[in-house]
Amino acid sequence: MEGNILEAMRYVGAGLAMIGAAGAGVGIGLSVQGALGGMARNPDTYGNLLTNMILGVAFSESIAIYCLVIAFLMLFKVV
Amino acid sequence: METQKRTPWRRWIVLVLMIAGFILGGIYAPVQPEITVAAEKLIEEPIVENFLGLGPFYLVNTLPTLFVTVFFIMLPLAWFAGRSLKKSQQTDLVPRGVGNVMEAILEMLYNMTESSAGVKWAKAIFPWFATIMVYVLVANLLKLLPGFESIGVLHPHGGEHAAELTGWQIYNAELSHDYILAPFFRGISVDLNFTLSLALISFFSIQVIGVRAQGLGYFSKFLNTKRMFKVPFFGAMDFLVGLLEIISELAKILSFTFRLFGNMFAGIVLVAVVASLLGKISILPAMIMMFELFVGLIQAFVFGMLTMVFMAMATQGHGDEEHAH
Repeated sequence: MEGNILEAMRYVGAGLAMIGAAGAGVGIGLSVQGALGGMARNPDTYGNLLTNMILGVAFSESIAIYCLVIAFLMLFKVV
Repeated sequence: METQKRTPWRRWIVLVLMIAGFILGGIYAPVQPEITVAAEKLIEEPIVENFLGLGPFYLVNTLPTLFVTVFFIMLPLAWFAGRSLKKSQQTDLVPRGVGNVMEAILEMLYNMTESSAGVKWAKAIFPWFATIMVYVLVANLLKLLPGFESIGVLHPHGGEHAAELTGWQIYNAELSHDYILAPFFRGISVDLNFTLSLALISFFSIQVIGVRAQGLGYFSKFLNTKRMFKVPFFGAMDFLVGLLEIISELAKILSFTFRLFGNMFAGIVLVAVVASLLGKISILPAMIMMFELFVGLIQAFVFGMLTMVFMAMATQGHGDEEHAH
C-alpha cells in the first residue's frame, strides 16, 4: 500500500468536518416538529407558521453550510 | 353546464417520453459529468488576456446560460407581462395570459412582504425580494432542462491516445478515459460567482434600506456607544455585542452564497453519483431530477425570503426599547 498520506488525510478531514451537519439536522427537525404541532392544533396559522418555519430551517441550515465550506476548503486545497 | 369530456391524450406523451428515455439510456450510457466546483472552460485560451487589469477572462460554460436566462427568459417575460397588463388597463382591467400569471405570483409575494415588513416599508422592500426570488427560481429550474450538463465539447484529459476528435460523438465508456466533457450549458446557480454576486447585492441593499429607515443611527447597531457613559459595565457589554453583530452581518454573505451554491452543487453531485452507480439504468437519475425541482423551488424561496426578513429587521430599530427589569 502506498500513496500520499496528505492526500488521504484531506479526504478524511473533509468527511469529519461534515459531522457538524448532524447538529443542523437535529435543529431542523426540532423546528419542523414545533411548526407541525402548531399547525395541527391551529390550522388557521398555517401560512404564517410555514414562512417562519422555513426561516428557522434556513438559519439552522447555515450551520451545516459552514461545515460544507470547511469541507470544500479541505477538499479543493484552497488554503 | 355542458362540459365535453376531454380525452387526456397529453399525458400519454409524457409516458412515451419516459419509456423512450429509459430505452435510450440503456443503449447510450448517460454522460457522467465531471464534478468540478468552478465552471468549466469552453475554450482553453482566455478571450481577454487581461480583463480590466484583474486577470485573464475565460469563456466558461455558465456564461451562455446566463445569456439565455437574461435575454431569452427574464426580459421577454417582463416585456410580455408589461404588455399584457397595459392592454388589460385599456380594456376591462382583466389581465390574461402571462400578465395574469405574473400578477397572481407578485400579488402573493407582495402580501407576504406586507405581512412581515409592515405596510410602510413593503413598497421599498418588495422589488428586491421579488426580483431575487424570480431570478433565482428561473435559474434553478432552467438547470433541469435536458441538454444542460450533457451536450458539450470534449477536452483531452491526459490519456495515452488523446488524439483530436472531430465531428459529433456520442459519449461512451471508452471516451470517458481520455476525455472530460465540458458542457455548453451549466446551471448558473452552480457557479460561486453568481451566488456571491447575488449575496453581495442582497447584503448591500439590506444596509441601504437600514440607513434609509433609521438614518445614521442604523450603524449604532454595530458601534454601540449609547449607554457607555451612563452605565459603564453594561455599556461596555453592549459595545462587545455590537462587535459580534458586525461578524454575524458579514457571515450573512457567506451563508447566502454557500446555501444556494451548496444545495445546487449537491444536486449535480447526487445525479452524477447515482448515474455512475447504476450505469445504464437511467430511470433513477430522472427521479432525482424531480427532487431537484423541489430543492430549486425551496432555495429560491429561502433566498428571497431571507433577504426580505433581514431588510424588515433592518428597518426596525433595536436599541430603543426600555429594559423592564
